Amino acid sequence: MKPSRRSDPWWLLSPTLLLLFVFFVFPLGVLFKDSFYAWDLITPARYVGLANYRALSRSGELWHTFLTTLSLSTLIVIGSMVAGLALALLLDRPGRWIAFLRGAVFSAYVVSWVSVALLFLWMLDADAGIFAHLLRAIGVDSPNFLGDPRCAPWAVAGISIWKITGYALVLFLAGLQDVPPSVLEAAELDGASSRQRFLTVTWPLLRPTTLFVATTSLIASFQLFDVVRVVTQGGPVRSTTVFVYAIYEQLFLDLRVGRASAEAVVFFLVLLALTALNFAVFREKEAV
Amino acid sequence: MIARRTLLKASALGGACALGGCHADPVPPGRTGVSLWFSYGGKNREVLEDLVRRFNRTQSRDYVQATYQGDYYEGLAKLRTAIAAGAAPALSHVVGEVVPYLAQAGVLEPLADYPGIADLGVMPALGQGGSFTAGASHPLVALPFNRSTPVAYLNGDLFRRAGLAAPRSWSELREVAHALTVPGQRFGFGCPINWWFWVALVGQAGGDVVTTDGQITLGGSAGVEALEFWQELAQARVLKPPPGRDYNAWEQTNQDFLAGRAAMIWSSTAFLKYLEEHARFPVLAAALPAGRRRAVPTGGTFWVVLRAAESAQKAAAARFLCFMHQTAQACDWATRTGYIPVTDAAQRALVDRGYYATEPNAAVAIEQLSVAQAWPWSVDLFRVQREIVQPRLESAVVERKSAGLVLAEARQLALEPA
Repeated sequence: MKPSRRSDPWWLLSPTLLLLFVFFVFPLGVLFKDSFYAWDLITPARYVGLANYRALSRSGELWHTFLTTLSLSTLIVIGSMVAGLALALLLDRPGRWIAFLRGAVFSAYVVSWVSVALLFLWMLDADAGIFAHLLRAIGVDSPNFLGDPRCAPWAVAGISIWKITGYALVLFLAGLQDVPPSVLEAAELDGASSRQRFLTVTWPLLRPTTLFVATTSLIASFQLFDVVRVVTQGGPVRSTTVFVYAIYEQLFLDLRVGRASAEAVVFFLVLLALTALNFAVFREKEAV
Repeated sequence: MIARRTLLKASALGGACALGGCHADPVPPGRTGVSLWFSYGGKNREVLEDLVRRFNRTQSRDYVQATYQGDYYEGLAKLRTAIAAGAAPALSHVVGEVVPYLAQAGVLEPLADYPGIADLGVMPALGQGGSFTAGASHPLVALPFNRSTPVAYLNGDLFRRAGLAAPRSWSELREVAHALTVPGQRFGFGCPINWWFWVALVGQAGGDVVTTDGQITLGGSAGVEALEFWQELAQARVLKPPPGRDYNAWEQTNQDFLAGRAAMIWSSTAFLKYLEEHARFPVLAAALPAGRRRAVPTGGTFWVVLRAAESAQKAAAARFLCFMHQTAQACDWATRTGYIPVTDAAQRALVDRGYYATEPNAAVAIEQLSVAQAWPWSVDLFRVQREIVQPRLESAVVERKSAGLVLAEARQLALEPA
């Protein structure tokens, strides 16, 4: 369909463009500008050039935050996908109890992050938590889940996996129901075992779903904040300081708007790169 | 610039409403409304709100609207955002370390000329003049509110059964912590790995975090000694460094104590009544032990009036501050929370009333004022505390990094321009 006037598409797009400009482009521009200033919100901003970026880089904070975020995201994405797919394969059958179980697993996804974090804060308490009691009951010393820098990232990843597995489950279930039964039947008639049917038929057909789940989980895990804020506050010893928490800390706790902005700019570029990578992978798969 | 300011204002107001439960307490006609942002929950919040209601009930000129804003650091973050947006409250309270920074930024109202302020009779060690080195040489911008010192809380049952007394020296603290530790069940000693307690240890080791001429030394060898003492106790597993940061760690320490998982903790006088009311054992408060000498920092917050508020509101805020410093209110605040009464008259009244004879725990913080060390009037103090020292203390204790190295690194960073 060809518009009668060249300007018509722009008029139709204008509400969306206006919202995008006000809530995305303009703040992004302010963010870039602020990253070149030292500002504490209450005294006049001072132009410092690239000093904020240099300070973040020199202190190792940027690299440390990036690695922490990336490793936590990797754990969360892989963990939630494996658990989601396993549960989907297990629960992809009719029955009232199965429906209840599907609902139960998905219910974690709709509970607020803060509630989930508080629940796990109590459960993971090294002395009074249920996990510590269970471990002690079988004669094992409970690790300090949230107080030991070697355990805390695993704990945060575990909580996040528990929370978002329901989302992966629903998408994988939908993907599984899209697999044509005739193809599976044909494979079965050809003598393929259930393992072979999964590896050669189901899994390749689930690839678009897998990519979608991976992408959305990756973006969600990069935006991890609530769990970290409630459970560890970025600690112990910054072992769970992810990008969004680091930005919050710089801005609201350390009074540094410029450094927070510089960190947010880097975060934006990382997300942009990940999105571009994702697009490239999708296009390649579509071409195949 | 205008659009941005409006946006900031809207978000500050929105955030304050959302987090403060959108205080729907309208100012009665004919009265001057004073917005007060405060920063504590639980028992202390109940008492403050009660005193605010008393103020609103006992006069018909002003009306204080108190809104909860999270813990000290969350409250401070919101306060700064609101100042930037031109939506600051008339009255708030802030931690002592941040007062010089806010004063330097010019956002605090000088209070000395408001009627009644000069005659409040503030205890010297707790007011701006005594809490900061040369604090009196700066315009009066801060009045004491919930002032405290760190104290030791002891599980009376456990100490009695073990035949132990409150430790009076570092070596006694070491012995008591070992004696009361039951591996897997209980730590002898619990303490948040927090700047405030490290400053106490530095003072006890004979050092100063900042010298009187303003040089940031982080205590020199005393700073290292203090940190190594902590490390030694943590590595011997007789000190539990609680998980979480800031007040999450403090809360965890309190819970460990109440649940019997720590026989003795260091915390603030702020929690005296809370711990006494919730413990199923007798709670004994004791002074912190001496290293080479006795020393404690003071803590808690100061009232500040925001310069940007309207004149009528600032005057009303000053009248509220005078009310809060009256003996009845100062005594009420102290006896119902555990904080130190901030005026000489209030303290005398409590002595005359025999309060400290029947409540010896409450006398501990007051006795410690005799060895309290003043904070430097330094605009960098807050930055040094939050950004430089605090993360490194945690790193040294939890990751067992060399105390000398982390503090040398911290000292170098502290000397760099902000």
